[in-house]
Amino acid sequence: MLARLKAPQWAGLSLIGGLVIFPYVIAMLTGQPVDSGVPKFWQGMLIQVFILAVFAMSYDILMGYTGILSFGHALFFGTGAYTIGILLKHAGWDLGSAFVAVIVIAIVQSLIVGLLSLRVSGVYFAMVTLAFAQMFFLLAEATDFRQWTGAEDGLQSIPVPAWISPTTERLRFYYLALGFAIAMYLVARQIVNSPTGRVMMAIRDNEVRAKVLGYNTLIFKLIAITVSGIMAALAGALNALWNLNANPAVLSVATTINALLMTIIGGVGSLIGPMLGAGVIQLLGYWLNVLFGPSWPLLFGIVYILIVLFLPYGIVGTWRLRGTSWLEQWRRRWQELTVRS
Amino acid sequence: MIEWIKYRRGLIIGIGAIILFAYWATTTYEPRVLASILLSGLTLGALYFLVTSGLSLIFGLMDVLNFAHGTLFMIGAYVGFTLYANPRLLLNTVPFVIAVVAGWLLAGWLPVKRIRTPGWLFWIGAVIVAMMAVWGFELAPLATTALSSGGRIPTEQAQAPTAIFVIRTLGLAVAGLIAGIAFLVGKEHAQQPLSAKLLVPLGMLTLALIIAPIRLSAEGWLLSLNSNTRFLLALLVGASSGAALGGLMEWSLIRPLYSRPIYQVLVTLGLVFVGTELVKAIWGPGGYFMELPEWFSRRGPGCPSPNLIAWLQDNCASIDVLGRPFPSYRVFIIALGLVMFIGTAILLQRTRLGMIIRAGVQDSEMVQALGINVRRVFTLVFALGAGLAALGGVAAAPFLGISPGLGQEFQLQAFIAVVIGGMGSFTGAALGALLVGLSRAFGDQIVLTGIQLPWMSEAMSFSPSIARASTVLIMALVLLLRPAGLFGKKE
Repeated sequence: MLARLKAPQWAGLSLIGGLVIFPYVIAMLTGQPVDSGVPKFWQGMLIQVFILAVFAMSYDILMGYTGILSFGHALFFGTGAYTIGILLKHAGWDLGSAFVAVIVIAIVQSLIVGLLSLRVSGVYFAMVTLAFAQMFFLLAEATDFRQWTGAEDGLQSIPVPAWISPTTERLRFYYLALGFAIAMYLVARQIVNSPTGRVMMAIRDNEVRAKVLGYNTLIFKLIAITVSGIMAALAGALNALWNLNANPAVLSVATTINALLMTIIGGVGSLIGPMLGAGVIQLLGYWLNVLFGPSWPLLFGIVYILIVLFLPYGIVGTWRLRGTSWLEQWRRRWQELTVRS
Repeated sequence: MIEWIKYRRGLIIGIGAIILFAYWATTTYEPRVLASILLSGLTLGALYFLVTSGLSLIFGLMDVLNFAHGTLFMIGAYVGFTLYANPRLLLNTVPFVIAVVAGWLLAGWLPVKRIRTPGWLFWIGAVIVAMMAVWGFELAPLATTALSSGGRIPTEQAQAPTAIFVIRTLGLAVAGLIAGIAFLVGKEHAQQPLSAKLLVPLGMLTLALIIAPIRLSAEGWLLSLNSNTRFLLALLVGASSGAALGGLMEWSLIRPLYSRPIYQVLVTLGLVFVGTELVKAIWGPGGYFMELPEWFSRRGPGCPSPNLIAWLQDNCASIDVLGRPFPSYRVFIIALGLVMFIGTAILLQRTRLGMIIRAGVQDSEMVQALGINVRRVFTLVFALGAGLAALGGVAAAPFLGISPGLGQEFQLQAFIAVVIGGMGSFTGAALGALLVGLSRAFGDQIVLTGIQLPWMSEAMSFSPSIARASTVLIMALVLLLRPAGLFGKKE
């Protein structure tokens, strides 16, 4: 069976293998125990990457596979975080039923938002979803629900079950997050490669054609939004568990921009691209923060604009184009930019 | 008759809703409360209009949804405030900008065609020269202000000596020149003939250099001006800086991406991020409060002014409206919105440029085919829209205060107004802004006094965030009934 694997699959398997033994490798290199000090810090770093990777991948199902540009993706991420936080902290639910509730709420929410927003298309859709996300952001900040949401301070100290506490059981949480990312990737790949996924791509390429072929495009777009909404909500819920809190920032535009950034840097229209993008952004953000201190977001924004201008295919897209030489690609891009049409 | 009703369904429902709402409003509130709610709504509506109109025009003409429009609004507010309270920051930075632009323009007169060196070398050179020119330049101390009895004034921070300042200016002019060359290398481009046009960049350079020695006295002169004059100057400078930024944005970031529309939107979203962070880096994350100019700030005997005419003489901070005082500055905002509405409408309906813009909204390729340089009109309209937004920002500053979050708030409400009014329609933008403004004002009032439904023993009151969030519900309603907006073209 192993003999039949192709090169990308080998790369994927070895990446997963590398990530599985990563905590122990770091522990060996630094000579520190695996559940404290530097290894613990890097596990935390990667946990954040895994969570954001799922979030970015869910975004790409919308943007890269169905061709829907949403600027309200933080809505699902944030609602997932708040749902699990409120259920664990105030309602005293157990973890399993809380996750089920997260999924159910994500489905309802994405159906409502989808049905309303899909009445318009293109940039209108982006605008309308942004407005919805902002509405939830404002509601999360509203002082009226302070006893439930904690208003602008957010939900603090969510009671996470001891067996996956991110502070004491960091290694277990690491494998949990890794498993979560892999599982979500497999699910997403299954969906994208299914007939439903093909229709989504047909909609992306030419919606009218898909319609003429007899597909009810609205249904398929709703499916895409729901799938992506569930994934984002699960990622948000895990994020809340990891940070032990949920604050209004998870619902803000910055969160959506983050997903966009990871998707664009990694490569639109692939599943692995956004996941790689999440890793790049997280590590780059960390280094920029160390190097430039508080002014790093500014630099980050500039890097983002430069990438949109000069590297629109992202890491994976550029890799796929590797047949053409690097110089040729740059020359082409340069011409495209500088020729005054 | 039935056909007619069917055709006018939207209109009839709309009028019916307005009548019902007016009935509810007049029976619920006393006339004087109602009047101040309406006026507050108009104030907000005027501000929203300034943002929405540009947004809608830009989208109508070039299909670009500018997510950074609220950011331009915010930057306008900051620049206007800076001129009003701390001109030192502007006097120490504006010459640099002028110098770069002058250098860039000068490149047009050079025999660039003979240059065989690749362009990117020049870009790198320009960046290096520019970095050398601004090396060690400290912005933050210049932006620091202190609170005094007369409002915020610049603190006693040393500014760079004139000689160093002149060197920096010249260095940036050279950097601009090199960048200009880099831009022109390898392009089909005719060297400009020597003519009076050359005076423009040279004049700009001279201006930049003249500012250097007179910075201190200019600052003193500006601060000694009457606050009303300073306020008018702030409006002017804020709006024109917004227009310049908008034009620059279209030219440098939007124009290369007309073949990839999605990426245009992505870039403008990135600009939101960059703009907010830039403002935080220069002015700090905290907010500022802009003092009202004298026209709108007198208190004491005889105030509030009994009516608008009396206010012209006594300049009270508020005007009596049916027995309740209403801030006179808000009346000014309403007037400003009205003037801008009429001005823009005249520009669109009665001038040649307006004709081209309207034609471009219909079909920009056709306009291009008729021999009109549509791209130049694009830049112009972008600048115009950005200028309107920035003007709104300056006008909002004394009323709402200034903070880095100001832009996003207005962006959201402007988007909602645009969706309600319909994209690309000027009337729709104005009406949408008005509707959102009024509903915000009513929402704030309802939220303040609370809602008492028949079965409740006491009223439920909410925080203003709920009122802000509830405008999204109006948008959802309009989307359900009329996805293209009230005045939008059907898709």
